[in-house]
Amino acid sequence: MTPPLQHGTFPLQRWRMLLKRFGWALFTILFVVVLNFFLFRVLPGDPARQGIRDPRLTPETIQAIRVRFGLDKPIINCFESLNPVKVGSCGVNPLDTQFFIYVKNLLKGDLGQSFYYNRPVKDILGERLWNTILLIGAGQILAILIGVVFGLFAAWKARTAIDYAALISGLVAWSLPTFWLAIILLFWGTNHGLPIGGKATPGMSSYPFMQQMGDLLQHLFLPTLAYTIIYMGEYMLIMRSSLLDVLAEDYILAAKAKGLSAFQILKDHALKNSMLPLVTLIAINLGFTVGGAVQIETVFSWPGLGGAIFEAVGRKDYPLLQGGFLLIAISVILANFIADLTYSYLDPRVQAD
Amino acid sequence: MKQKLLYVVIIAALVLSACGGGGAKQPAIVRIGWSNGPDSLNPGIAWLEEAYTIYELVYDSMYDLNLDGTFKLSLADSVSASADGTVYTYKIKKGIKWHDGQPFTAKDIAFSYTLYKDHTDFPTLNSYTEHFVSSEAPDDTTLVLTLDQSIPNIESRLIFLYILPEHIWKDHTGKPSEASEDSSLPTPTPEPNQSAEFENIEMIGTGPFKMKEYQPNEFIDLAVNTEYYGGRAKVDEVIFQVFSSPDVLVQAIKTGQVDMITELPNTSVESLKTAENVKVAVGAPFAPNLADIIINQVAPENCPSEADGGVCSGHPALMDKQVRLALAYATDKKKLIDVVLVGYGTPGIALIPDGMGEWFNSSIKDFEFDVAKANKVLDDAGYKDANGDGIRDMPDGSKPLTFRMNWPTSSIVGPRMAELLGDMWKQIGITLEPQAVEDDALTAKCCPALDYDIIIWGWVADPDPATLLIIPATDQIVTGYNETGFSSPRYDELYVQQGTELDHAKRVQMVWEMQQIVHDEVVYIIPFYYQQVQAYRTDRFKGWLDSEIKLALEDPTSIMVIEPVK
Repeated sequence: MTPPLQHGTFPLQRWRMLLKRFGWALFTILFVVVLNFFLFRVLPGDPARQGIRDPRLTPETIQAIRVRFGLDKPIINCFESLNPVKVGSCGVNPLDTQFFIYVKNLLKGDLGQSFYYNRPVKDILGERLWNTILLIGAGQILAILIGVVFGLFAAWKARTAIDYAALISGLVAWSLPTFWLAIILLFWGTNHGLPIGGKATPGMSSYPFMQQMGDLLQHLFLPTLAYTIIYMGEYMLIMRSSLLDVLAEDYILAAKAKGLSAFQILKDHALKNSMLPLVTLIAINLGFTVGGAVQIETVFSWPGLGGAIFEAVGRKDYPLLQGGFLLIAISVILANFIADLTYSYLDPRVQAD
Repeated sequence: MKQKLLYVVIIAALVLSACGGGGAKQPAIVRIGWSNGPDSLNPGIAWLEEAYTIYELVYDSMYDLNLDGTFKLSLADSVSASADGTVYTYKIKKGIKWHDGQPFTAKDIAFSYTLYKDHTDFPTLNSYTEHFVSSEAPDDTTLVLTLDQSIPNIESRLIFLYILPEHIWKDHTGKPSEASEDSSLPTPTPEPNQSAEFENIEMIGTGPFKMKEYQPNEFIDLAVNTEYYGGRAKVDEVIFQVFSSPDVLVQAIKTGQVDMITELPNTSVESLKTAENVKVAVGAPFAPNLADIIINQVAPENCPSEADGGVCSGHPALMDKQVRLALAYATDKKKLIDVVLVGYGTPGIALIPDGMGEWFNSSIKDFEFDVAKANKVLDDAGYKDANGDGIRDMPDGSKPLTFRMNWPTSSIVGPRMAELLGDMWKQIGITLEPQAVEDDALTAKCCPALDYDIIIWGWVADPDPATLLIIPATDQIVTGYNETGFSSPRYDELYVQQGTELDHAKRVQMVWEMQQIVHDEVVYIIPFYYQQVQAYRTDRFKGWLDSEIKLALEDPTSIMVIEPVK
């Protein structure tokens, strides 16, 4: 039974919604934690061998590697392995199964040791996360700014040559194959003396800070440009159509009749109301930011998270995969949570659901 | 407006990068591009060739491997072996220092060999210590290595056993815990400071270059070791940079962002040949490798037991040497090389690639490509097209000659080869059912299950031929390395003999005979041996060794001798 909506209960209502959302977010993360573990173990193959056939590799060695990675233990009670499915004893101590060791370590904040790199997953993800945030953060911010401004402009000048030009270029940019665009930019960049790989010129670490930053900016330029072009179109199109809807409302007509300037109408009456779809899109994109942009990372040899996770699939690097997917899941969930909060700020009706 | 913004960013970047800078003499820095970095700096656990490239530059081992496949003593001045070939005594050079200034002695060598031997969890290097009984250093310049039997080519066992500093690694000697047979007992806790978990970022060695900076998956910066006992390299720094796409590697050398690339797609060779100041070099790979067409020919009596995973579902026709012979006659190796490798390969004969120098049996005359002859062999053996569908059938008419053809999904050459072979063999009335299979899944199908007809795969050679020669031995069927299920008493006998034969000439003779058997029995069809293609800039450094049998411009053999073009 819902209490009658009164002025005084408003903050409580808001808290209750927040708590509910937060509960769901936690539940989703828990679900991902469990799913992550079993998902990769259903893949065929033996991570201790990594697809390598080598006469130097003795059965004793393979066994020793299994022990080191904890792969000699049953996956979980009753199951020795999941692919091929091998039923085992159900009476084993649950704390001595791979699943519960994984959960126990996770609770301690330990993401495990990468099978492939033999380094802590936390370290690898940490290095890569920073690189990814740098590249995609810069790309997203530019894409949002340029996309929103162009979208505004196109909607305001709807059905004019400017609008059509913006619409067409937005559609083209959005539908460009990422890989192709990146390669084209790369070729263009080499002819203009821009670095085409990595995030820093090797051997610069002893140089002064400003010079290192300059070097970083140079390396960031091409991949950021590629990213911006691809995403800008999307933001522009959404902004334009959403704003067009709002501009068709009666109250805009009323504002015009009041004699308000175009800038005032946009700023005070139209913009906030047309932001809802954009906020959703930004939230979703920002959430997936952490996943990186595999194609751009590959073309520009950018050592980001997307590439790390992509490679880990082929190498059956379970701990790295688990850690990477958990990171992505958490950031998507977090971004959605923030979007929910922003929604209720932008449109107070949202929290009454 | 967008354009303007971009230019502002570019200019800001250029201005920032221009501040600072300057300085006296420019150091000679070699920049090398490759598509992957090492998987680990810890020699115990690394798999990738890229890791070994770095070890060769930073560490030393007892011997160096020359580009013609011969060895030379490196850390020792001399060696003497006992008459029965089980005790080797090395006189170690004096005055060698570790990169951190600590003195290097024979004790470090003894320590390192013991470390490799103790660690069954070192995937590749542990196997080289098989037959080692002990390694001891009675004094600082003497190392005594004792074996439990004589082994030929001791050099090939020692070249990858890089010498590690005891004063650093003594804190990282933990061995893996041995899981008990009884699974109800808890696994013992592993020893602390596991060797396999040591990241070895500092990488203190005695080699010609020192680790300066390592950024995983980005670059490795090595500085010259000015006190190297073998003489200082002529360059000051070597930088290996990762470019994750091969096309970008090609672009990087064209524009001069790197001075050498260790690999490039064969399809890019033509475009690079016309590029200014770039030279393309071709040779046998440092670790010679081959493609093989694996034919399941396991006889029922050699099929591994069900408990060992044996399935043995191979097509019965492939057990017949005549059918395999016909396939060999119908295989146009030249076309395969031209199409699949754009010409950068050499025709294969048997399991030992031509890049292995004297071990390669150059006297074998290969089955020539001759479709008519192939058809005749099959006609004579009774494989007629009984039902007129264009596909030959078993002599008793029970089964058409339709073979399953698989290759690992990671294989670049697999799909194209399967298609070409399908066309070639169709001309002799044989059809294929081609399918790519994920690598591990294919291993499971392959061996020791022998649950396939034909697989396209390959092998990489070790400096000693024994690692390739062991593959067709009968006792390897059950271990899964004998992928064809071939069995020959004479071959097995030769394998055992060559494993203890100390007379080099005699051993070469045996190795040649083994190749002859593999060829004559058509155990495999070896389509080609791969060739290595690399490229370097001619306007930056000179002296690259690009005309030896093997090509490895990233190896110390080149890096130690190149010098800047004035």
